[in-house]
Amino acid sequence: MTPPPNLARGDLIVLAVPKGRILDELRPLLRAVGIEPEAAFDDDESRQLRFKTNLPSLEIIRVRSFDVATFVAFGAAQLGVAGNDVLMEFDYGDLYAPLDLGIGACRLSVAEPSDLSQSDDPSRWSHVRVATKYPNITRKHFAARGVTAECVKLNGAIELAPSLGLCQRIVDLVSSGRTLKDNNMVEVERIADVTSRLIVNRTALKTRPEEIGGWVERFREATARNA
Amino acid sequence: MQDALHAALLPQGLHDLLPPDAGHEAVIVERALASITAHGYERVKPPLVEYEAGLLAGVGAADRDRIFRLLDPVTQRTMAVRADLTPQIARIAAVRLAHAPRPLRLAYTGEVLRVVGDQLRPERQFRQVGCELIGSLEPTADAEIIALAAETALGIGITGLTVDLALPTLVPALLEAHGITGAARAELETALDRRDASVLAARGDEVGRMLADLVNLAGPVDSALKQFASLALPASAEPDRARLFAVVAQLRGRVPAVPLTIDPVERRGFEFQTGLSFTLFARGVRGELGRGGRYRVAASNEPAVGVTLFSDSLLRALPPPARTLRVFVPVGGDAAKLREQGWITVAALGPVDDARAEAKRLGCTHVWIDAAVSEIA
Repeated sequence: MTPPPNLARGDLIVLAVPKGRILDELRPLLRAVGIEPEAAFDDDESRQLRFKTNLPSLEIIRVRSFDVATFVAFGAAQLGVAGNDVLMEFDYGDLYAPLDLGIGACRLSVAEPSDLSQSDDPSRWSHVRVATKYPNITRKHFAARGVTAECVKLNGAIELAPSLGLCQRIVDLVSSGRTLKDNNMVEVERIADVTSRLIVNRTALKTRPEEIGGWVERFREATARNA
Repeated sequence: MQDALHAALLPQGLHDLLPPDAGHEAVIVERALASITAHGYERVKPPLVEYEAGLLAGVGAADRDRIFRLLDPVTQRTMAVRADLTPQIARIAAVRLAHAPRPLRLAYTGEVLRVVGDQLRPERQFRQVGCELIGSLEPTADAEIIALAAETALGIGITGLTVDLALPTLVPALLEAHGITGAARAELETALDRRDASVLAARGDEVGRMLADLVNLAGPVDSALKQFASLALPASAEPDRARLFAVVAQLRGRVPAVPLTIDPVERRGFEFQTGLSFTLFARGVRGELGRGGRYRVAASNEPAVGVTLFSDSLLRALPPPARTLRVFVPVGGDAAKLREQGWITVAALGPVDDARAEAKRLGCTHVWIDAAVSEIA
């Protein structure tokens, strides 16, 4: 797709937002900063990936939460919304996270089957096998206490892994804790509290400080009103 | 067992440059050097490999994790392939040119090799072009280098250029003045690197507020400096602030058309700089075009300031080169005369039936027919 004809290349601002749960919470915030996406954006059946808005200079793309960070880090999108779990996992130097939007609250935790947690003595571990979407965070977390974590990278349905013998522990996002309970697991350790952040591409902020800085300011005001 | 290697497979981050890109890069590098040497900077050429200790001295400490090391079979000492030229230039200035008059102005270009690229810029080998101004602490020296870097970038055709000014010694001075060390310091530095003012403000103390102010004031030079001027900084940070104001005032005179931004908390890659540093960005171009700043020459402790431009980023930032005009000259044509007139000639090695078709096949834009140069449609 090409930018609208009245825009020179490089004048468009692309906002990357994650699919799913967080989008529902983000929607009012978008309205509050004056962004109204085209109708297809709210249509879950739509296959469209890229959406126009009421602002000719701003488009929205809807991608997986991990990919939000990648699009913004590489400058394919200038702004994005991503959880700090994603930022911790990738640690891109060219990404700034200037604003906590206060939405999408959950936590990143270690969990294990309930019966294991009765007998387990973590101080004796030298090595654990962990199923997770977050191999970097997991390795770092366990390494900090002298334990080698062998990570099995999964992209979803992490809670299945222990019951089928893939591993005994998982590191995953926990919000209500229901999924864990349904799978007979308990949360044993909290690695980080997670909320969604407004993220900004470094080069875009440096070379278009007024525009990009202006959006950060608008989101900041809207978030403050929300709080 | 290893998979059989395809004959053309290169290791990650290493590329072949082909026509016209290889020629384009050479032209860019030549023009950049011409711009630098026109300001009185003289070329030096250090070797590709030297002893590890020399490369890691002083500002070279930043390269500790990115140099390729090899053992010198003759001396049994560890050698390394340079990952940056600046430490080599500093060594030359301090030792071989110790008696050359100061300020000393040196220019260079050369390939560098790194163990890993980064995520955004995967190149492990690329060419650096740059200059170092050694022996002066004057803000005029900083301004000369920054203006020269900007003029050079503009001169080779970069558009949408921005110079971002940083004070990498400011935050360490602040943290030291408030006695913040260890894990608390690491946590603050992570928040600073993400420009997350909320974590800083949430500390609720003076240093948290000051760091949050520093993060929030980043941006275009006019508003940033106004806010920066009114911040109450510890005495140890005053020289940094004074230098920044002096340099900005001079840059406004030297390169008035180049937008300046200020980011006082920028420190990535500037860990071993000793004062005002800067990064060149171009609108819409991923990564940095170049960077530089103040440092101390390890062997002599002389103050120095320099800049390095990265050839791969420059190539990415520039439009593809204009089509080169080449004329195909059949046997018997006077190619020498055409070259005198400025043409690039491609000579036939034997008689051809259709000179026009042959010229086209060889990628020529023109052909020598009937004693005249004629354009190929």
